[in-house]
Amino acid sequence: MSEPLLTVENLNVLYGDYQVLWDVSMQARAGEIVAVLGPNGSGKSTVLKAIMGLAPAKSGRIMFEGRDITRVPTHEMVALGISMVLERRRLFSAMTVRENVLLGAYHRSAGKEAKSRLEWVEDLFPILAERRDQIAGRMSGGEQQMVAIARSLMSKPRLLLMDEPYLGLSPRIVKQIAGIIQRINQDGVAVIFNEQNVQLSFGLSNHGYLLEGGRVVLSGTGQEMIGSDVIRRVYLGV
Amino acid sequence: MTFTIFLEQIINGLIIGSMYALIGSGIALVYGTMRVLNLAHGEFYMLGGYFVFFLAVTYGLPPFLAIPVAVVGTFFLGMLIQRMTIHYLLGKEGWMFSTIAATLGLSIVLQNAALLLFGEQFQSVPYYLDGMLEIAGIRIPYQRLLIFVVALGTIGVMTFVLKKTRLGWAIRATAQDRDAAAVVGIPAQRIYLITFGLAAALGAVAAAMLAPIYAINPWSGLPILLKGFVVVILGGLGSFPGAIAGGLLLGVVEAIGVQLTSSEWRDVIGFALMIAVIWWRPWGLFGKKA
Repeated sequence: MSEPLLTVENLNVLYGDYQVLWDVSMQARAGEIVAVLGPNGSGKSTVLKAIMGLAPAKSGRIMFEGRDITRVPTHEMVALGISMVLERRRLFSAMTVRENVLLGAYHRSAGKEAKSRLEWVEDLFPILAERRDQIAGRMSGGEQQMVAIARSLMSKPRLLLMDEPYLGLSPRIVKQIAGIIQRINQDGVAVIFNEQNVQLSFGLSNHGYLLEGGRVVLSGTGQEMIGSDVIRRVYLGV
Repeated sequence: MTFTIFLEQIINGLIIGSMYALIGSGIALVYGTMRVLNLAHGEFYMLGGYFVFFLAVTYGLPPFLAIPVAVVGTFFLGMLIQRMTIHYLLGKEGWMFSTIAATLGLSIVLQNAALLLFGEQFQSVPYYLDGMLEIAGIRIPYQRLLIFVVALGTIGVMTFVLKKTRLGWAIRATAQDRDAAAVVGIPAQRIYLITFGLAAALGAVAAAMLAPIYAINPWSGLPILLKGFVVVILGGLGSFPGAIAGGLLLGVVEAIGVQLTSSEWRDVIGFALMIAVIWWRPWGLFGKKA
């Protein structure tokens, strides 16, 4: 089997004195969709933030394409091929849709291809071209999520981290976003996303991890996990 | 006749207001981007004034050479001082307060350093232009017209930089969401450094233009800082266009107020306007309600 794209080994993360992640280990292979599942406060957001360098690792190791990225600052991640859609979109809300999307190609490594990438994401999300001059903060939640995803794809990542991509969106939009995640994945981008909803998580993913209290308590394929007793215990308390 | 004088005062108010705008926009830029209230901003104005004085008077450089060199010098000095002081506080626990304390300390240190190095005598720079423009009985010295033109030019350049350049996009993105900016590859620390330098340079432009009118001394930064605060409160803290509008407004209101009362009331009028704005629209006349 091929070398994993991303390996997280025994990751520990603390916010102040409070430990959020305990010896978390996980993997993602090239072209895979990985779901990180867990109830509120289980640390599933922190895993993604730690990979991106937004939450500092106390100990442990994060390897990407054979390279140790544990201490690489966030702003250098796009150059390595990792991009992220932050929780709650986090657009540059006073800037236009076009400006937001183009900022996704801010890094010099992406700059040359910005034009062809822009065409590619506008093809993926036609609304971006229609609304290019609209102020991003005035769009609906679903539209903002599309801008956020488009922005994250401008750097042509090989790994895309998505922090709660479905949060606060209507079922119809959720379906649309799920379709987009699949399409991105078909283009060869590995995706790691987190979500609270079991069906949503494993319907889409090849592989999943269940976090509880900051520890990985279960991992396996989507089907394995949906039938698992541990899932039932964590979610239903039985 | 009185109408002419009145009009002249309004024009004067706009001219002085354009300088307030430059000073306020520096404070707004730093606050908007890094959420640091820079109490040492006046000292960059003061140091910029000394830069111009030494280059133009002591070394006798022509003003059109002395001023740009002084502005660029203050830009680098601003970056150097940021890197040696508040750079270490940003993002650390309690940084919102520690940076206020640090910039207050910085202001005291810079004032006393200037006193030690340059002495306590007031220095002045000769007028860059002589003569007066006279249109329909309204008289404006060329020197003051030059102030206005330079202010408009500087604001134009800054607006262009913020709106159209890669650096400007990075500054605006960092100001709006630091983490999201880092995710797309914008190094926040470097943006903070450059922004601080730009703000210092804006102060130096104002200092260069006002040097022939107001004497340069180690304490000349404080009244400027106070004016700057009034401007950013009028315009909405952290808003660059708000600071421009706030500066012009303050200049005109002061000019009209002085006409109606007397020149001792100038500061009272400015601060009264500020208090009224804090009372009625704490987010500023041109800012958005949070």
